[in-house]
Amino acid sequence: MTIRKVLIANRGEIAVRIIRAAHDLGIETVLVASEADADSGATRMADKVVVLGPAPSKASYLVPELIVHAALSTSCDAVHPGYGFLSERAILPELCDKHGLRFIGPKATTIQSLGNKVAARKIAKASAVPLVKGTSNITDKEKAKREAETIGYPVLMKAASGGGGRGMFVASDEKDIDAQFESASKEAEEAFGDGNLYLEQYIENARHVEVQIAGDGKGRAVHFGDRDCSVQRRYQKMIEEGPCSIMSDTSRESMRSAAVKLMADLNYSNLGTVEFVYDPKRDEFFFIEVNTRIQVEHPVSEQVSGVDLIKLQFALAEGNPNVLPAQNQIVIKGHAIECRINAEDPENNFFPSPGRIANWSPPQGSGIRVDSHCFSGYQVPPFYDSMIGKLIITAPDRNAAIARAIAALENFSIEGIKTNLNLLLDVLRDQCFRDNRFSTKWLENDFLNSHVRD
Amino acid sequence: MDKPSQQDIESLVKLFGESDWKEMHIKTDTLEFFISENPGSGLQNRSVQANVVKSQTEEIKSSPVVAEKPEKKSGAEYEVPKGMLAVRAPNLGTFYRRPKPDSDPYVEVGDEVTESTEVCLIEVMKLFTPVKAESSGEIIEILVSDGEMVEFNQPLVLIKPS
Repeated sequence: MTIRKVLIANRGEIAVRIIRAAHDLGIETVLVASEADADSGATRMADKVVVLGPAPSKASYLVPELIVHAALSTSCDAVHPGYGFLSERAILPELCDKHGLRFIGPKATTIQSLGNKVAARKIAKASAVPLVKGTSNITDKEKAKREAETIGYPVLMKAASGGGGRGMFVASDEKDIDAQFESASKEAEEAFGDGNLYLEQYIENARHVEVQIAGDGKGRAVHFGDRDCSVQRRYQKMIEEGPCSIMSDTSRESMRSAAVKLMADLNYSNLGTVEFVYDPKRDEFFFIEVNTRIQVEHPVSEQVSGVDLIKLQFALAEGNPNVLPAQNQIVIKGHAIECRINAEDPENNFFPSPGRIANWSPPQGSGIRVDSHCFSGYQVPPFYDSMIGKLIITAPDRNAAIARAIAALENFSIEGIKTNLNLLLDVLRDQCFRDNRFSTKWLENDFLNSHVRD
Repeated sequence: MDKPSQQDIESLVKLFGESDWKEMHIKTDTLEFFISENPGSGLQNRSVQANVVKSQTEEIKSSPVVAEKPEKKSGAEYEVPKGMLAVRAPNLGTFYRRPKPDSDPYVEVGDEVTESTEVCLIEVMKLFTPVKAESSGEIIEILVSDGEMVEFNQPLVLIKPS
């Protein structure tokens, strides 16, 4: 089936990214927007914009019935969910299937089964993907303490249906479990409608490494290299790069193969990411979870593989398995770094900084890509994620990419609101970052504590 | 950030009013904005309190950068004539003039309505929500044709208030 007209059920930079890819393919675009997003880079580019509802997401972007109704009323034949919002809720592809719309993403059943982290661990185990020691659902803290004793402290308590760090905490001993079990369970219940928690062995000084996968839904899957997303604050990624240059070639190859095998075994269709923790000391990797959506950091893989992953999503959704390239056709070359630009004030505990952007002047030049929905005069609404754009740098190797990223950030001017541009610069100039000596806790525990700006 | 205009503040207050948030706190170089539901006030309706700290006493000049108007007009941008009130769509959906396909329309032009008179139906995926006039007066115009898709806040029916 050829897709002629797509509805984009998202906002911000990813809506711009999807509209661009669709227009390249000659596909018409309908963008849904909340009242607060009626004027943005994305609404200016879309062929048609429909206002779904008021500003709060739960009355607009998070209502699957409104999205599908809008798609049907504007005679779209496909829906692209982007990331966040409804992208990993099975209800949207289910409704799309019911009404004859193509959902640009994996099958509803795949989203459902991988969405539960305990179930996902079982699936990964069946495909022989390495797992950290872990448990099934744990409903009370006495059991949590017994299990933690067996695994050995420190342990990581996680939400069974979770993601994004909510309902998650590290326990170094029994006291931590006593203190945090109930509040984490409550947080998980509120965020995901499931208060179940489970335990995993906690790998200290770990890196977060992930493999970008595409599958044809018929048992064939390929990878587009790996990404290292270890520069994080409160489980929110800030800088992502690829490939992960501290991994041994043997480990990298076996991690990529494990990810491909897992997704092939699942008959995974469309794009997804297999996330791992990597222990540099032991040169070992362990499965975390599968993200059943296109991710924020997908441009890193696009830059090093030369493949437009959003266009690939469209092509795969049309149902032709031949569009999936053979693995040996995908050549990973060079190094890419992505910096997330946020409207927030790092000097004031990262307090969000919405408001009007008086001047937006992104850098330009070879190896510089900026994905954003912003422009001079754009009003950053206070209702959504604080990310206002992404700077993606490509160069022959990591050092060259860092140098180019620093030069690009120095030439990035955003006036009118507070941003993390200077913080990103300081991270890129930091010796630990340059030497590639950091873990997922480094930014939060070391860098930000010792970081004083002149 | 640029000095906030009266309009910026009004839109924040409006958005807060439409949300289900308990409070909102925005702080920038030039403005501290705090707005909260006031449960202790004894008022029955939700009350909002806008408190502009370091208030802007200077005349706010027009911003140096003015956002261009989007080219594509959406249905929600229809201008309601002076002296008229519009019944607006509570969300995106399909507009129907009749409770059932074989019934008479809820209202016709010239009808007198009160606040509680139902004037149309909005359907989202087989979920039908009647929309009330919310003001009393005379129906002047039905702005949307039967079965048409309408957007959030789009004017549907014009009323001349009595």
